Amino acid sequence: MPDSSALLEVQDLHVSYGRIRAVQGVSIAVPDAAVVALIGANGAGKSTLLRAISGLIRPRRGVIRFLGEDLVGLPVHQVVRRRVVHVPEGRGMLARMSVLENLRLGGFAHGGRTDLAPELDRVWALFPVLRDRRGQLAGSLSGGEQQMLAIARAMMARPRLLMLDEPSLGLAPLLVREIFRIIPRLTAAGTAVLLVEQNARMALQCAAHAYVLQTGRVVLSGRATDLLAAPEVQRAYLGAG
Amino acid sequence: MEFLAFLVVDGLLVGAIYALVALAFVVVYKASGMINFAVGEWMMLGSRMVAAGVHGLGVGLGGGLVFACVGMVAVAMAFTRVVLRQLFSQSLLTLIMVTIGLGIFMRGSAALVFAGLPGGIARPLPLEPLTVLGVPVSAEKLVAAAIAGACIVALSWFFRGSRTGLALRAIANDQQVAMSVGIDLHRHFAITWGLVGVLSVLAGTLWSFVTGGGFGVELLGLKVFPIVIVGGLDSFPGTIVGAFAIGILESLTAGYVDPVVGGGFSHVASYVVLIATLFVRPYGLFGRTEIEPR
Repeated sequence: MPDSSALLEVQDLHVSYGRIRAVQGVSIAVPDAAVVALIGANGAGKSTLLRAISGLIRPRRGVIRFLGEDLVGLPVHQVVRRRVVHVPEGRGMLARMSVLENLRLGGFAHGGRTDLAPELDRVWALFPVLRDRRGQLAGSLSGGEQQMLAIARAMMARPRLLMLDEPSLGLAPLLVREIFRIIPRLTAAGTAVLLVEQNARMALQCAAHAYVLQTGRVVLSGRATDLLAAPEVQRAYLGAG
Repeated sequence: MEFLAFLVVDGLLVGAIYALVALAFVVVYKASGMINFAVGEWMMLGSRMVAAGVHGLGVGLGGGLVFACVGMVAVAMAFTRVVLRQLFSQSLLTLIMVTIGLGIFMRGSAALVFAGLPGGIARPLPLEPLTVLGVPVSAEKLVAAAIAGACIVALSWFFRGSRTGLALRAIANDQQVAMSVGIDLHRHFAITWGLVGVLSVLAGTLWSFVTGGGFGVELLGLKVFPIVIVGGLDSFPGTIVGAFAIGILESLTAGYVDPVVGGGFSHVASYVVLIATLFVRPYGLFGRTEIEPR
């Protein structure tokens, strides 16, 4: 599927932690304003792939092309300036700062601009609950609210590409549905979403394309609806007999 | 009773300067987890640069302050760029050792560079001692404390209200997350050390005013540890309260105990409190207990 019109194109990426090869020759593409899911078991290399794209770890080999520019070797804050924003697993709250301060920090990607009113309005519209809680410390929010804040903070950067790592982790089913109801709405504002999820069914239902990772390699890829119906996916990831 | 009031007021005034010194220590600790063992040497170098501006360049006190601020910020930039950046991924212990080395380097090079220049800084105005409500108050300490207080207010505004302050607090909260929202860590570490440089100039100069200056400004660094341990290493309000507490404690022990035991106990008293605090509340009066798993 990789084609030159993609927003993000990863080619033959290899990432190692010491001698452990976490990602071995992965190629993926994310089209503009689309949701793409990465599914696979624990340790398949999904999070590592996101960390490499956001500059948190340097790949051993490979190309990460975003809007035609190679991101490999850029420091994290430079990647964010290009509006590629990563919401790590565990949400990365600044727990001792207020909800509003967390959101203002999300706007750091815009460089010196300090008037974040348009971004804030957009975020309040997506997550009204955060508006009511804006003065509260982030650490005092519930798990679901923290996940919303994590996504909201990332949206403050008006990302072209938003990478979500396990947004449903540790949330009650009702909140998981709430999060997955919001994800497709993010693309309406021109944001592409690269979604890493253990909850394969939810991920495939909201994604257009998906890749299945296994021990650091892409073993299957295609339209999300096709993967939902594929017997090997059903057996391994969707719990069907 | 009047003697007690005098001692308490005197302790409070000195405490304001201590607070400035301790804040120079705490900003670094909060941003990077580094313990700056050279904080006294920074103060010494700051005041020596002011003195060099006044006596060596003849630019007066105002000019000397500007000269010293520029000089200390340059030292801070050189330190972050040449030393800290290279050691970024090293263990915290390495970085802490580096501050000890830097302190020794600062002492040695100050002795060479400023050889022959007087280290004292004359007060701009000779001040008469005041009497407030029957309590004698040292006028120079009052002025010094007022300036220190104004600096503390400005600093807390900087951290609360400015964009850079917001970024620094985010770094203090979680470096990884700060990085992932687009904050350039190295740039902000440099800003932190630049801030230490400016605070060193101010606190070093005020301390020289109060003590007559010249000798042993670096010993001011020794006051920091009881203050931050009592106040809690990572709390600005705690640091300020700790600084006043240690100031008053020193003043009271100097007034009541030193004459009995023959002097010197006031310098030890704060360390006795430090040890007691470590037993009772190891995270300080205002510090946070670290409950998040790490």
